[in-house]
Amino acid sequence: MTSAWITIAGLAAGTFTIRLSGYLLGARLPASGPWARALKALPGSLIVALLTVLLIQGGPAEWVASAIALAVALATRNLPLTMLAGLVAVAVVRNAL
Amino acid sequence: MTLRQPTADARAEFLAGLRDITPLTFGVAVYGLAFGLMAGQIGMGGAQTGAMGLLVFAGAAQIVAVERLASHAGPALAIAAGCALNLRILLMTASVRAEFAGRPWWQVALGVHLTSDENWALMHATRRSRPVGYWYLVGGGISLIVMWVLVTGLAAEFSGLLPDPSALGLGFAFTAAFIAIARNLWRGRGDLLPWMASACLAAALGLFAPIDPSWALIAGGLAGAAVAGVRGCD
Repeated sequence: MTSAWITIAGLAAGTFTIRLSGYLLGARLPASGPWARALKALPGSLIVALLTVLLIQGGPAEWVASAIALAVALATRNLPLTMLAGLVAVAVVRNAL
Repeated sequence: MTLRQPTADARAEFLAGLRDITPLTFGVAVYGLAFGLMAGQIGMGGAQTGAMGLLVFAGAAQIVAVERLASHAGPALAIAAGCALNLRILLMTASVRAEFAGRPWWQVALGVHLTSDENWALMHATRRSRPVGYWYLVGGGISLIVMWVLVTGLAAEFSGLLPDPSALGLGFAFTAAFIAIARNLWRGRGDLLPWMASACLAAALGLFAPIDPSWALIAGGLAGAAVAGVRGCD
C-alpha cells in the first residue's frame, strides 16, 4: 500500500499547513462575509458532490439503500446506525433483484 | 510540558479538558470503529491506519481520502479532496489564535494539530461559564487523538475477521457513511441552494465530462461554496 503511505504523508502535511496557517494568518482571515461563508459551506458541498458521484456510479440497489440510509440519518443523526441500515438494505435489495 | 514550567492552573485545566471531553471521545470511538473497518477492507494495516490518525487527525477528510484511494483516483486526488474538506479548519485555528500567541513553537504546533471540531466546540461552550484556554483545548485533544489512533488502528487490524466484503456490500459502506456525515453537516435551509449547485455540477461533470470523477467532486464542492459565499447570509 505505497499509495496509501503517499496519501497519508500528503494529507498530513496539507492538514498541518492548514491548521498552522489559520493561526499565522489570524486576523487577516475573515470571520464573516462571503469568504468565511464559502469556507464554512465547503465541507457540506464537497460531501454532497462526492455522494452525487458515487450515486451516479451505482445502480438501483444503491439508490434504494441510499434512500433508506438517508431516512435513518434524518431520524437518528447517528453514523453507525446509518451505515448499518444502508449495508443491510443494499444486501437485501441486491439479493432481491 | 516542563519547558514552560506549567503552573498548577495549567495542569488543572489540562485535566479538566481531558475529563470534560469524555462523552465526545466515546462518539469519536464509534466513528473510528467504522472508519478503521473501512480502511482495513481496502488493504490498509493497523499500524498504517493508526499512523494516519495520528498524523492527519481529521476524521471526515480521512474517510474521503481513503474512499478516493479505494476508487483508484490516485494519491494526488485523494490528498486534494481531503485537504479541500479541511480548509475550514483555517477559521477554527484563527478563532483561537490568542491561545497560541507567545507560546514556544512546540506548544503552537501541538495546539494547532490537536484543534478539532470536538474540543474546539467544547472550549467555546465551557467559556460561557468559566474562562478556559490552551491547556483545556490540548487536554481534550489528547483524549480524542489517543482514542482515534487506538480504535481506528485496532479496527483496521482486525477487519479481516469480517466475512468477504463484496458479499456484504461493504463497498456501499462509504456511501452510507457520507450520507450520515452530510446529515451532520446540514445547518439549515441556507444550505439548500449551495448543496443543489454542488450536486448539479458534480452530476453534469460526472455524467458528461471525460475526467476522473474526483475532479467532478472537487468542482462541485467549490461551486457549492461559491454559491454560499455569494448568496448566503452569516
